[in-house]
Amino acid sequence: MNKVLLRYTNLVVLTLLVLSFFSFMLAYLFPGDVLANLSGVQQHDPANLEQLKARYQLDSNIFVQYWYYLMDLYRGDWGQSFSSGLPLYEEVARTLPASIELSTYALLVSFAVGLPLGFIAGLRHHRNTDYALLSMSVLGYSIPVFWLAMILILTFALQLGWFPLSGRISLLYEIPRVSGFILLDIVWSDVSNKSEVLLDAFRHLILPTLSIAAFTTTVILRITRRSVIETMNSDYIQAAYARGLNARQVLFRHGIRNAIMPILPLLAMQFTTLLTNAMIVEVIFSWPGIGNWLIQAIYQRDFPAIRVGMLAVSALVVIFTMTIDLGIRLIDPKKSKVERVAI
Amino acid sequence: MSRFNLYQEEFHPSPLQHTWLEFRENHIAVVGLLCFLFFVIVIVLCPILAPYNPLTQNIDAILIPPAWDDNGGIMNLFGTDALGRDLLSRVMYGCRMTFGISILLVLVAMIIGVTLGAIAGMSKGVRSSVVNHTLDSVMAIPTLLIAIIIIAIVGTGLVNSMWAIVLALTPQFIHHTRDFVKQERKKEYVMAAKLDGATPLQIVTRSILPNMGEILVVQGTLALSIAILDISALGFLNLGAQPPSPELGTMLSEGIEVAYIAPWSIALPGFAIFLMMISINLVGDGLRSALRNRLLH
Amino acid sequence: MYASVMRCSVMLMCFNLTACDGLITSKPNPSGIVYCSEGSPTGFNPQLDTSGTTVDASSHQVYDRLLDFDPLSGNVLLGLASSWEISEDGLRYTFQLRKNVEFHHTAYFTPSREFNAEDVIFSFDRWRLLDHPYHFVSGGAYPYVDSLSLDKLIVSINRINDYRVEFILNKPQSSFLANLATDFAVILSAEYGEKLLESHQQERIDNFPVGTGPYKFVSFRQDSYVRYVRNDNYWQPLRLTEKLIFDITPSSSLRFAKLITGECDAIGLPAHSELDIIRQSKGLVLDEKPGLNVGFWAFNTAKPPFDKAEVRRALAMAVDKNALIEAIYFDSAVPAKNIVPPTSWAFQAEQKGISYNPSGAKKLLTDNGIKPGFTMEIWAMPVERAYNPNAIKMAELIQGYLQAVGVKVDIVSFEWSTFRERLKQGIHDSVLIGWSADNGDPDNFYRPLLSCGAIKSGTNRAFWCSPEYDVLINQALQFTSIEDRQYFYFKANDLIAEQVPLLPIAHASKYQAFRSELKGFEINALGGVKFAGVVKD
Repeated sequence: MNKVLLRYTNLVVLTLLVLSFFSFMLAYLFPGDVLANLSGVQQHDPANLEQLKARYQLDSNIFVQYWYYLMDLYRGDWGQSFSSGLPLYEEVARTLPASIELSTYALLVSFAVGLPLGFIAGLRHHRNTDYALLSMSVLGYSIPVFWLAMILILTFALQLGWFPLSGRISLLYEIPRVSGFILLDIVWSDVSNKSEVLLDAFRHLILPTLSIAAFTTTVILRITRRSVIETMNSDYIQAAYARGLNARQVLFRHGIRNAIMPILPLLAMQFTTLLTNAMIVEVIFSWPGIGNWLIQAIYQRDFPAIRVGMLAVSALVVIFTMTIDLGIRLIDPKKSKVERVAI
Repeated sequence: MSRFNLYQEEFHPSPLQHTWLEFRENHIAVVGLLCFLFFVIVIVLCPILAPYNPLTQNIDAILIPPAWDDNGGIMNLFGTDALGRDLLSRVMYGCRMTFGISILLVLVAMIIGVTLGAIAGMSKGVRSSVVNHTLDSVMAIPTLLIAIIIIAIVGTGLVNSMWAIVLALTPQFIHHTRDFVKQERKKEYVMAAKLDGATPLQIVTRSILPNMGEILVVQGTLALSIAILDISALGFLNLGAQPPSPELGTMLSEGIEVAYIAPWSIALPGFAIFLMMISINLVGDGLRSALRNRLLH
Repeated sequence: MYASVMRCSVMLMCFNLTACDGLITSKPNPSGIVYCSEGSPTGFNPQLDTSGTTVDASSHQVYDRLLDFDPLSGNVLLGLASSWEISEDGLRYTFQLRKNVEFHHTAYFTPSREFNAEDVIFSFDRWRLLDHPYHFVSGGAYPYVDSLSLDKLIVSINRINDYRVEFILNKPQSSFLANLATDFAVILSAEYGEKLLESHQQERIDNFPVGTGPYKFVSFRQDSYVRYVRNDNYWQPLRLTEKLIFDITPSSSLRFAKLITGECDAIGLPAHSELDIIRQSKGLVLDEKPGLNVGFWAFNTAKPPFDKAEVRRALAMAVDKNALIEAIYFDSAVPAKNIVPPTSWAFQAEQKGISYNPSGAKKLLTDNGIKPGFTMEIWAMPVERAYNPNAIKMAELIQGYLQAVGVKVDIVSFEWSTFRERLKQGIHDSVLIGWSADNGDPDNFYRPLLSCGAIKSGTNRAFWCSPEYDVLINQALQFTSIEDRQYFYFKANDLIAEQVPLLPIAHASKYQAFRSELKGFEINALGGVKFAGVVKD
């Protein structure tokens, strides 16, 4: 077990090193001045320039520079943005939790809806309920997430006026940022009208969560359905029936556990898809997350921000998938890796 | 098959025929296939079918509703957009652009992926294991995310976004080819070829790859749906195709500006993407279950 | 077995439905006003920037001026000055200042004294004197006063006592008082300036502003929001709301959508295509006033072949102005004959504009050596302004017209601040832009737009310098009676019509849309948006 742990730690560290080296090289590959791309400082004050040069060791060879870059990354000194001049570490620390929060809620919603429906479909295999759910799921994973978001806005925000369409919370409420997760921050804050603020945050969450959850829900439904069909056809289930257990007992004692356990990591992997979809939906709902921020940075050719944003997102995704991989290995050493099945 | 057999002759369909027979049983998938063919016809014939040039502006006909609306007219079946361009023509050319480019991208990614995958599959040892691990981590990242990151680096534009999507799609082809080649390499017919003195290149091209057709088609439909989604998403985010080019995602993002007064300008391009995705997914689903059924029997 | 699963999900749905009731009924939050603005301000000092976005976010919220305009009549009213006197020769202006006016108490500065003559001198000397310690802070460019050459007009500003200052001019100028009432003549705190000088943080004066205005600055996040709170010690007895928030929303359709959902109480620059819907919607109010602005197509006269008046005229003839107005402004603008709008007294109703004549244009172009296939650039603003709600779309339409006369057009657009920077360098062929006046005096159009001096300050987009024109507009300022001044301005109008340094396109109305809960919100025809006296019921 320790060996596996060691191997994965190695792998994660190595991957992160490669990613960070790549992001360092970007400062050279992007157009413009290397120093500006690294620090985000665009002014040409000579004294300042010398100081910066010394700080990033630009006169030494590339590996020394990279070493200093790594140290800076470690210290949280990531340079500043071209367009706003704000420190990038803080910007990422502000936007990344917002995206993770949105994706997490959407994942929970997808589980809450997708798993039960997947079970129903799997148990009623080749019957009308199954066909109906299956056709619905084709619709669900064919619909482009940005179009769905726009349609939801048109109906629920503009026509019916039920939900707001932008941001995480009304700007009139000022919630101090502690964790970056808005609901937690509201609970921890000492605002007087907490329930009112929470309700407002919920109202802001609903539409974006639903738009990105739609796709994942259908994926989870289909994976679960397939797994349930396979499980319910297996010998031990037949044996359980033979022992005289009724359908309910079979399902709850043997079915659910055995159907869910093997696909659980696969389902967790949906988080990365959610994060990507969240990045698009953020732009539509003006959600202050990493996707919205990174895409604005691309529009404005804000190279330091692109460099850091790309590093943050890819590092998050890599660490997440590797952790899940590791979890599976630890639980079930026989399994070599997550099989990526077709949905 | 259900035909009356005069003689007690056994019917042995070839694997391809078998798959087709299984596929044909699935009516929804057949509808998907017809829909798919419809799109293919549209994108091939759209210069003939489209009533107007998709880029021609007409200031006298701005934001005309579609024909089924009370204020719509028959001149513009789908209505017009904020610059008076005919939406039907734009959607047709948009399908051509989005769908056509996606097919092209999938083909390119497939060629690159299969080549690299075959090389990886035939090699052993450390090199193979390195490729293994890199691929596994890359495959875990959604293609759109990879594409956005690549665009962030190389800059926006249609050509850049096409490169980005090809790069993002290639790993899964490598992965599947490598797995398939690895798996087949152990089989006897490959051994037989080897004993006949075939070089590794000959083994791959003459023995293994011909057996891969179906897997590639299934994988191709999957990749095609991803490519369509990605290219329109990038267009929508203004990272890919730029206005005024009639790309469906770009049209959607242009339509946002008038979404409230002219809902059709986002409804129709979006619906076109949706329909395209449904047809491809239905075909892909049908093919997969047909293959699965064939292997089961 | 699935029955229990079904039961579970049904229960879940029921729970959701009861929760929905609370979720979908939103009630307006009375504690503050959210204004959806169209862009991020470049700072919080209107002296440094003529862009409307910066002015909106600072001028009437954080600061006060010596004088103000009456928003309805456009007459000059008293502001921080309680009275003024003008000497016989028109060279000496004396102002008596208001007492008991406090500067903002903020988290970053606590004033120890009230507003007095020091603050007036500090604010004006900053842009007037090159050796002032703050002159070169934050770029050191003062485009508005530069374009009007105000720094050359004022000889000295003297403190007579704590509450009395005099301005000495080198020549009489009829528009001087109006200039003091514009958005740019704000009063900063001299004490705050000294404190920042000691701590070597001069730039903070423009980013963490301190003024005497109705709202105190709290925080600003680029591309997201600006927060203000009520100034409890405001000297004017006006109703103020507890919080004021500028929600920065660059897309006009999003601003409109947020107005419908109630996320914004008021929006700036509603899209012209949506005006009718706002008019018809219950609960929304659309306010309209003829705007003091002009949208135009300026040719870079410093660059051949646009240095030839005939070429410029030919290009202007190739474009159907009325069609542009219909498509871009949705008939909410009047076609422009010259650079001043019909509400101004320098407007000449009888003047003839250039009429649409593509064949004539083609002939004129060939006569001047422009062959078919000639390619030119049109720079189009990336943002919407009252005078041109969609420059890029307009450029696309002009592209179509020019194609008909054999001229190929490349449309160029950059991010707004880069756009203005490059425009200043004069590398464009032609540009679609415009001008909003800051006071009712016609000099505010003639001088910044086309005078030689305005090339340097970057408001003369045509890079047109005609000594004859400069003499005319300078002479106009020597007189005080409108008839006398009209004589010169009409001559200037003729000169512009003959030389076509720019093609005036439209004078658009100014719009403001807000929810009906908002009371007391008026369009400020002269300059930026004003939230003093606006409350939500």
